[in-house]
Amino acid sequence: MRVVGLISGGKDSCFNLMKCVENGHEIVALANIYPETEDKDELDSFMFQTVGHMGIEMIAKAMELPLFRRKTKGQTTQTSNDYSLKKESKEEEVEDLYELLKTIKSEIDYEGVSVGAILSNYQNNRVGNVCSRLNLTPLAFLWERDQSELLNEMIESDIDAILIKVAALGLVPEKHLGKTLKEMEPYLTKMKDKFGLNVCGEGGEYETFTLNCPLFKKRISVIESKMVIVSEDNVCSVGYLNFVKMELLDKE
Amino acid sequence: MVNFTVDEIRGLMDKKKNIRNMSVIAHVDHGKSTLTDSLVSKAGIIAGAKAGETRFTDTRKDEQERCITIKSTAISMYFEVEDKDLVFITHPDQGEKGEKGFLINLIDSPGHVDFSSEVTAALRVTDGALVVVDCVSGVCVQTETVLRQAIAERIKPILFMNKMDRALLELQLDSEELYQTFQRIVENVNVIIATYNDDGGPMGEVRVDPSKGSVGFGSGLHGWAFTLKQFSEMYSEKFKIEVVKLMNRLWGENFFNGKTKKWSKQKDADNKRSFCMYVLDPIYKVFDAIMNYKKEEIPTLLEKLGIVLKHEDKDKDGKQLLKVVMRTWLPAGEALLQMIAIHLPSPVVAQKYRMEMLYEGPHDDEAAVAVKNCDPNGPLMMYISKMVPTSDKGRFYAFGRVFSGKVATGQKARIMGPNYVVGKKEDLYEKAIQRTILMMGRYVEAIEDVPSGNICGLVGVDQFLVKTGTITTFKDAHNMKVMKFSVSPVVRVAVEPKNPADLPKLVEGLKRLAKSDPMVQCIIEESGEHIIAGAGELHLEICLKDLEEDHACIPLKKSDPVVSYRETVNEESTMMCLSKSPNKHNRLFMKACPMPDGLAEDIDNGDVSSKGDFKVRARYLAEKYDYDVTEARKIWCFGPDGTGPNFIIDCTKGVQYLNEIKDSVVAGFQWASKEGVLSDENMRGVRFNIYDVALHADAIHRGGGQIIPTTRRVLYAAAITAGPRLMEPVYLCEIQCPEVAVGGIYGVLNRRRGHVFEESQVAGTPMFVVKAYLPVNESFGFTADLRSNTGGQAFPQCVFDHWQVLPGDPFEPSSKPFTIVQDTRKRKGLKEGLPDLQQYLDKL
Repeated sequence: MRVVGLISGGKDSCFNLMKCVENGHEIVALANIYPETEDKDELDSFMFQTVGHMGIEMIAKAMELPLFRRKTKGQTTQTSNDYSLKKESKEEEVEDLYELLKTIKSEIDYEGVSVGAILSNYQNNRVGNVCSRLNLTPLAFLWERDQSELLNEMIESDIDAILIKVAALGLVPEKHLGKTLKEMEPYLTKMKDKFGLNVCGEGGEYETFTLNCPLFKKRISVIESKMVIVSEDNVCSVGYLNFVKMELLDKE
Repeated sequence: MVNFTVDEIRGLMDKKKNIRNMSVIAHVDHGKSTLTDSLVSKAGIIAGAKAGETRFTDTRKDEQERCITIKSTAISMYFEVEDKDLVFITHPDQGEKGEKGFLINLIDSPGHVDFSSEVTAALRVTDGALVVVDCVSGVCVQTETVLRQAIAERIKPILFMNKMDRALLELQLDSEELYQTFQRIVENVNVIIATYNDDGGPMGEVRVDPSKGSVGFGSGLHGWAFTLKQFSEMYSEKFKIEVVKLMNRLWGENFFNGKTKKWSKQKDADNKRSFCMYVLDPIYKVFDAIMNYKKEEIPTLLEKLGIVLKHEDKDKDGKQLLKVVMRTWLPAGEALLQMIAIHLPSPVVAQKYRMEMLYEGPHDDEAAVAVKNCDPNGPLMMYISKMVPTSDKGRFYAFGRVFSGKVATGQKARIMGPNYVVGKKEDLYEKAIQRTILMMGRYVEAIEDVPSGNICGLVGVDQFLVKTGTITTFKDAHNMKVMKFSVSPVVRVAVEPKNPADLPKLVEGLKRLAKSDPMVQCIIEESGEHIIAGAGELHLEICLKDLEEDHACIPLKKSDPVVSYRETVNEESTMMCLSKSPNKHNRLFMKACPMPDGLAEDIDNGDVSSKGDFKVRARYLAEKYDYDVTEARKIWCFGPDGTGPNFIIDCTKGVQYLNEIKDSVVAGFQWASKEGVLSDENMRGVRFNIYDVALHADAIHRGGGQIIPTTRRVLYAAAITAGPRLMEPVYLCEIQCPEVAVGGIYGVLNRRRGHVFEESQVAGTPMFVVKAYLPVNESFGFTADLRSNTGGQAFPQCVFDHWQVLPGDPFEPSSKPFTIVQDTRKRKGLKEGLPDLQQYLDKL
């Protein structure tokens, strides 16, 4: 099947692409939704991870694939798990995805969409809705996998990803941003036992950016980044990394 | 010269009706340990002549030096009761037929308030209490505290009026005055008993009565004591009245006319109170003859009383002779033993009514039934009430009471800590009991097994329990109830090793200290500071000494003592507080408001608690505090620690998935109520209302990692907007002194923000009692200050009484609470300054 990969830049979308290739599919392009205004990196979207959008182009270059992008206002009109197209859905972020996939269809021929969802019914239902309207097949190999097992498998499969946003009890921006998954795994497991944290970050606990994986032809190196603290308190601070300068390097 | 063997004791352990488990409780310096010696000497462990001087149960060097009991000590003793006295034991469950031998497990406890947690631990494992009152000072604050605790634990009291020698020799009271003094003490004690016990309750009538023989009189120091039973026996033949009937006539408004030989209920010119005439007069005569050296009268008097002195005692005179004579005439051990055997309940009797107070599980499960029947063949149920240090450094004997079944060396058992919940694995160990032992004052004796109704020690359990716990063989057993202490650890000091390299030793030492004391808390602050919290200055002093010399064995640096505070609020939140989860997809809306006066105390006392029927609780809250019944039924939980004096109420209407986040909200609430927003101190008297929640539809987005911090933040926001205040602990302080010193007391109290609320003369004595409230923070050095201002004549006893709001807004930089908050934050290593509302509050 010819597949377009929905990517956020994070570990899940990249790992699902690896799974697609493993299962004999061919990746023909990448698709990404990004925030409308440049100064607003953080959308708190119900649907999309938007933090790493500055690095998306780097990933496309690293994978040597065409990239299609679309802006979103990040609005939500339906917050229930199910989604159906309604009149007021015009401004809905889900419809941005629909428009994007439709645009790609007019340029490239493809049948499948790679989705990195693991456990979020909310996201999965919406992608499913969009795909069925466009007559596409969603491919979600990570769906309902055991999170601990999955995290371990990703690390074993040489996905080199770093934390670029933290938003959960036990995760501290100053301490954990920029750390690799491998470095974080024991701590994440500890927090899972203590507070019931989702180790893959499926509840929005953290987000990652992939610097390297077997599908990359080149690897990405961050030269300069800026830490942004969204809310600071002694209970649970939320913060993310903003990439200022990055470059592609040859793989060894 | 021990006159009983371990085998004899083990034999008696099976005769559970002949067991008495008792504690000796009293105000400090009323003579418990000294009196206990009389019993121990009767059992033959120490020589009779030394009784009253040895303080056998004060096993520690500092206890002997200071003449103050610090740790409670247990001893098992074996006595034989004479046939003529056995008939007084009428209840079928109070003794095996034809068995004379009695096993008495006695626990001597400290009298100083700072150590009353030791008393609590002692009461838990006993069924009866010998309440000792110094008849010169009368009923004091600690007498009341321990008696109240005893009644609450369903411990039956008997009373002993101690220090009669002082009343006669120092105060020179005449016999009618002395009778009045006794009468007043009996009344005072019975008033306290009546306040906390319902005669119609399961324990029945527990008041003490001299004419029943449940009140003893005498002098522990001189080793003599009696009850009316002894005197009644002496006169029974003369009057031709049965002993029991005569006992009634020897107390109260009963007068006898020597000339007409008529009894009367009224005093008139020719008759005299029978108690004075037949009980006190002979004693007065002995005192008079010996102390005034009326040598010629002594032999006749002795003959009349039937006292035969040993040859070597005949040459003595003065106080020495007095002691020998009185001790021979009215041996204290005998009188006490009779009181204990006759009036204190056997485990068979006591466990029937104590089970429901002791067991947390359903009252009809296997464990409950076995405990109720004190069944040695049922499943093992044992409560460990404290840890006793062994000669092996760092190891402890787990000390406790077997309520049912048998505990044996090598037996496999479930060791359950206080946090164990049935069906879960937390705080649960399944291990073999290494050894069971008998505790005897300074010695321990190994014993094969111990059946229900007895007290013993276990080896090898200390690694699995922090301080207390339940040991059982029944897999569905619930915990035995944790003990409630009458004192709180409100005074704290920080310690660090003088040599930083000794830190690991300090940490290990603190662990041992925490084990060895029932109440002390050892805490590590975020700043890395090691804190020891105790009941008062003396308690901490002893803890620090133990830590330095026994547990850590390193030189320590200690901070000045500071007190713990509580955080509360004084109005309803001025706005609806909203906080969003870190992923921004969940919102909680809450408000805080103060609890009505008295409710926090009701929760402390267990009148309102997390356990029990929520409907009953709701009705109580509605009736007493005007709570809305529907809301009161929806209390989600109490906190901190699931039982504290704050709660969170669900006031939402029809919210989806609300129950799914309940656990996370509860966790966040426990956390926030433990570490308040101002300075990380516990919250107190705060009610939180949840008004609305908006949740992400997908369960994965509303897990603990998202909801716990959000709850904490919204609770903090609610507290900040509800007029936060600090509360400080206040002591009830009772000071005894002669009249001349009263002025000096007022001066000292005024300087220390204390206020006197009662001042009275102790009837029949020149002593005054001043009662005052004194903030704990002002109590450091109070004893020394008071003594220097009263020429050493005033002696205070301070016991934690209540929490009091410190006037002033902690957000006002010139206020006292502001300074305290800043000091506390600094000490704990928190960011200085005030908590910022904006950190906790989010916009829609």
